[in-house]
Amino acid sequence: MAEARTFQLSMSPHFGSPQSTRRVMYDVVIALLPALAGAVWLFGFGGALLPVLLSVAAAVAAEFVCLRLMGRSTSAALDGSAIVTGILLAYNVPPGVPWWLPVLGSVFAIVVGKQAFGGLGSNLVNPALLGRAFLMASFPVLMTAGWSAPFEWRNPSAGFGTSGMPAAQVSTLPEADAVTGATPLRAWKDSFAMDDHEGAAVRENLSTPGTYMNLLTGRRGGCIGETSIVLLLLGALYLFVRKVLEWRIPLAYLGAVALFGWILGGPGFLEGDALFSVLTGGAVLGGFFMATDMVTSPVTRRGRIIFGIGAGLITIIIRRWGGYPEGCSYSILLMNLATPLIDRFTRPRMLGEVRKHA
Amino acid sequence: MTRLRTFPGGAHPDECKELAEKRAVKRIPAPETIRVALCQHLGAPSTPVVKKGDKVTRGQEIGSQNGFISLPTHSPVNGTVAGLEEAPLPHRRSGPVVVINTESEEGGPAFEPWPDFESRTRAELIERIKLAGVCGMGGASFPTYVKLSPPPGKKIDTLLLNGAECEPYLTADHRLMIERTEDVASGMRILARALCVDDPAVGIEDNKPDAIEAFGKAGIRVEVLRVKYPQGAEKQLIKAVTGREVPVGGLPLDIGVVVQNVGTAAAVALAVRDGEPSLRRIVTVSGGGVREPGNFDAAVGTPFSALIAEAGGYGDDVARLLSGGPMMGLAQFTDAVPVTKGTSGIVALTSKEARRLTEGPCIKCARCVDACPMKLVPCLIAVNSEHEKWAAADELGALNCMACGTCSFVCPSDRFLVHYIKRAQDMIRASKRSKEA
Ligand code: SF4
Ligand code: SF4
Repeated sequence: MAEARTFQLSMSPHFGSPQSTRRVMYDVVIALLPALAGAVWLFGFGGALLPVLLSVAAAVAAEFVCLRLMGRSTSAALDGSAIVTGILLAYNVPPGVPWWLPVLGSVFAIVVGKQAFGGLGSNLVNPALLGRAFLMASFPVLMTAGWSAPFEWRNPSAGFGTSGMPAAQVSTLPEADAVTGATPLRAWKDSFAMDDHEGAAVRENLSTPGTYMNLLTGRRGGCIGETSIVLLLLGALYLFVRKVLEWRIPLAYLGAVALFGWILGGPGFLEGDALFSVLTGGAVLGGFFMATDMVTSPVTRRGRIIFGIGAGLITIIIRRWGGYPEGCSYSILLMNLATPLIDRFTRPRMLGEVRKHA
Repeated sequence: MTRLRTFPGGAHPDECKELAEKRAVKRIPAPETIRVALCQHLGAPSTPVVKKGDKVTRGQEIGSQNGFISLPTHSPVNGTVAGLEEAPLPHRRSGPVVVINTESEEGGPAFEPWPDFESRTRAELIERIKLAGVCGMGGASFPTYVKLSPPPGKKIDTLLLNGAECEPYLTADHRLMIERTEDVASGMRILARALCVDDPAVGIEDNKPDAIEAFGKAGIRVEVLRVKYPQGAEKQLIKAVTGREVPVGGLPLDIGVVVQNVGTAAAVALAVRDGEPSLRRIVTVSGGGVREPGNFDAAVGTPFSALIAEAGGYGDDVARLLSGGPMMGLAQFTDAVPVTKGTSGIVALTSKEARRLTEGPCIKCARCVDACPMKLVPCLIAVNSEHEKWAAADELGALNCMACGTCSFVCPSDRFLVHYIKRAQDMIRASKRSKEA
């Protein structure tokens, strides 16, 4: 008989799926690209492409330096997660901001939002959103005055750098066929400060099929990556097909935004506009790409639904009564903080478990 | 065909069955030296009743039953006892074995054959199944007679045969079902009689249409199961077929169900109908690391190396040698270990087939949560285990993990979830014991 041969020992299972974290992250990167194309179409190379590239470069560089300083493997800087953070941060700033703003935001996002917590998987809140919150708190004027209207880059003479534009003028501009004004949400919010009649007229103007079409195609003021709804949906579809995205959070979030937008988002009870609520601001970007950040959202199924609904409700409350016209990113940040608790209280019923009813 | 039955959760590893599923079972003679483990079954090892130099005959008892959860062990060959020793085994680091030098394998039945088993009493049948040393052939090797002796007050109404064989690569049960349908069918009738159950059924995944057809022809109720891992796990099989859930911390018999592997049923048929103790079994030898994968009928005690040789020897690249399939099988340090009654397969994985052994951080993607067939939250149990928070792991239901490996399989970060969870289980059990003491 032949000599006995020996082998490496290891724990079961000895089989793994071909999935990898890297692949998951790069799938998200791919899914975010159509919206980048849309952003370039709307806001130009300088307005969209440059900030995104700078932001990504800054995120990856910050990640690299952190890993280096902590003596960890620097290859993780290219695992795709820093790229995702960089893209998302840039997507959440207005197109007209100075170049260093997204760079600063990205560095903050990576260093404070991610690596300070222990790196990939350990952070409590979405780093990109924390970066954005930091920019909002530190540079409020730049972050809310940097709006440029869609297509302005192709036609600078038209000159509707619209940060100061009174909300009453918000309309579908014929020459660009776009909803302009700082953002449609700002207009919606400002309408509550007007007298009833005027405000109602503004809102009526925003709740038209023409406006919805413009919102869908991104022809409105907004952050770099949030306006191209159709292209964002295309990316989300890709993630669904690749099984990277699970439906619960986006559906619960957008459903809640629509529902509470209708219930609470208007001048009176049940007088809001559900569709407008979903199509404006960062709801679609947030619902599909930020609330769904795996690290910072619940792992249980019921938890994901609670998370989505909670974030949707907070979004609408901030939009209607908060200090900012848009509440998407703060709502997600708040729910991020609640995630460990949600996971704890939504442990699924184990197979064969009989729940005691108190 | 009726609708496919299934259970919640699970995953779809590559089946890799094509390597061996068409290879008819080849009976191989017992090699010159065999090592028959005295602890092939779960529970207390048999007490050796032979010593070095003794002549043994095929079917002779070489170890006697030692307690309720225990079984006798028999010699699969005629030969001489070369010694008793502690030797490495496939399912545990080491255990007591009887080394036998084989002379021949001839010989009649060890017990009186009962082709008329219908006229035997339940007690007679159960006693025979015990004396023949029949234990579960599907993996856990639990003594079969114990499962047939429910404590008073427990009424069994359902008998399910497990022909799911959901582990990748393994085809031993599949071949058994199509080549020895009659043995399985007889075993099923004997088991049903022993349990006083009408209308037993066999559950088979729908990737084995020939087996489904064979049982259909034999007039046996077949429950067709959707191909999904771990469909062959006892609780998942019960859930899929009956819709019942085995209570947490309980046993199938608590809900009136007994599950037996198809291989066990065949062993029962041999024991009762033919008077043959459990001496041999079908073993799949497969994986990219063997040259000619196949299914072999081998005597217990046959070293893995001999079966690998039957399968054309190792290929150029063998990263891992497993007893069992790649999901729950145990990695072997040496191929000198002997086949036991529970050895369903020997799988040699190439480095490409084997799972990566570098783990990344948990990105909380929840794939493990969605896939866990026990509906646990593996990622959180693992994190608590890593931080040695045993009480928290216990609260999360760590003890209900059956180590099926589905969670680690789907994890994009290749986390060693099963390892962490098992560690938590050990610590939780230890602390419960010390509290009781
Ligand atoms: S599958 Fe892996 S990475 Fe995903 S949550 Fe579970 S342990 Fe974490
Ligand atoms: S090994 Fe345990 S935790 Fe993982 S999927 Fe199986 S039962 Fe669930």
